[in-house]
Amino acid sequence: MAQDAAGAVGARLGPQVDSLIRAAQRGDQDAFEQLVRAYDQSVLRLAMNLLRSPEDARDVYQEAFLRVYRNLHSFRFDCSFHTWLYRIVTNICLDQLRKRKVRKEEPAVVETTEGPIDRMEAFEEDAAEADPERSMWNRQLKRKIDDALLDLTPRERLVFELRHYQGLRLRTIGEMLGTTEEAAKNCLFRATQKMRSVLGDFV
Amino acid sequence: MTCDSVTKLIPLYYYAELTPEEEDRVEQHLHECSGCTREMDRQRTLAAALNSRQSGLPPRLLEDCRADLMAAIQGGAPRRDPVKGPWTLFLEALGATFGGVVRVRQPLGALSLIAVGFFAARFIGVTPGREGISQAGMAPEDVFSTVRSVQPDAGGRVQIAFDETRRRVISGGLDNQNIRRLLLAAAHEQNAAVRVESVDLLKGQAAASEVRDALLNAVSHDSNDGVRLKALEGLKPFASDPAVSQTLAQVLLTDHNDAVRMQVVDLLVARRDDSTVGVLQNVVQREANNYVRLKCEKALKDMNASIGTF
Repeated sequence: MAQDAAGAVGARLGPQVDSLIRAAQRGDQDAFEQLVRAYDQSVLRLAMNLLRSPEDARDVYQEAFLRVYRNLHSFRFDCSFHTWLYRIVTNICLDQLRKRKVRKEEPAVVETTEGPIDRMEAFEEDAAEADPERSMWNRQLKRKIDDALLDLTPRERLVFELRHYQGLRLRTIGEMLGTTEEAAKNCLFRATQKMRSVLGDFV
Repeated sequence: MTCDSVTKLIPLYYYAELTPEEEDRVEQHLHECSGCTREMDRQRTLAAALNSRQSGLPPRLLEDCRADLMAAIQGGAPRRDPVKGPWTLFLEALGATFGGVVRVRQPLGALSLIAVGFFAARFIGVTPGREGISQAGMAPEDVFSTVRSVQPDAGGRVQIAFDETRRRVISGGLDNQNIRRLLLAAAHEQNAAVRVESVDLLKGQAAASEVRDALLNAVSHDSNDGVRLKALEGLKPFASDPAVSQTLAQVLLTDHNDAVRMQVVDLLVARRDDSTVGVLQNVVQREANNYVRLKCEKALKDMNASIGTF
């Protein structure tokens, strides 16, 4: 199961994070950079997994950490920095997902003169398996999963990503999204049901 | 408990989000009901299929994001919408004229920076006596510049911030801080041969946390199999460190290279750590490589854990 990398790094640094935050609040840019590096990998992975586009993930990263930079002075240590940061990140991701719903999601698979190419697989080196049948099955499954994820509302998608891939507890996810643990549970249940119905024979 | 109520709890049961009492009731029902057990199997299959979708980060994306962010901050990230200068207006006009190329704005921007950098290097590389841009005595071919920001002011003057890169050769032992700093930077270089060489040298220094972080980053994200294998060698003595074992578990689930996964599984099963049980069970469900799968099965048996996920 996926691990909550940002939480793990934060926990590992422990009190060091607090002193980095305090130093960054005093204007120490090195401290801010260290703080960013402690969390940015999992932020980028979340954005990438949700948006399936390096360009959009890059925008989310930039906007999220610039907001952190501008608003760090208002962080009062009344929740964990990880939760505070993820509130910012999830808000930006939700906005992006909602915009996509309006303009219809950009397909992950693009048609080219050499046949359909998955934008995500373009940089996944050695994506092709030795066994062509398995490779074909995996490609079909991936496409089907993308369809299933498109069927979710932005909030369901986010709750699912945070629970399944980032390994966060539903209580924490509720806190990040400004909702209750119960509402997060309902979201996860609906997301799972929808995906199972779209994936049909595959699962 | 009815089948209907258990079906609703199955996803939460899978993600261990039920109270202990609810969990007991679901387990009791699953023991007695084959229909709900099949539902549970479908939940596991769905989760395993979704795990296969998780993709790594494209090479260099993280480094590029970090560089963009620091450039924005050091260039004075605007706190509110700034008054638009001629450069912004020019870019906006360009954007309006070529609306269809908005998606390639960033690559175009990068190309233009490279182009500006190329010409800037020729004009400013050897200007002596000017603070910040002077490289007296330096051959022009050794200086490369990249413009980071251009800010015109109302008086018609312009302030340009640029990074200047100068080629130098230094030598020293691995205990030298400068050498280590450069090796850490080289571990992110685009050239895979440079990365392999750097990680190979760094792997003996993994006692230092900054080196260990670099090795963890390489083993998780480097696109080159050789670099990942070298990084793994360096992490071997630290497999009991929670951050290391967590990363190794992730690598075991996601790495496409058999040799890497075989090395990782050896490191993980050697520890017989209960926290790895979930990962090993997951691997047993989805792993195509016999060696890795059998290793996981054996480790689970040795730890008295069930082979399947619960």
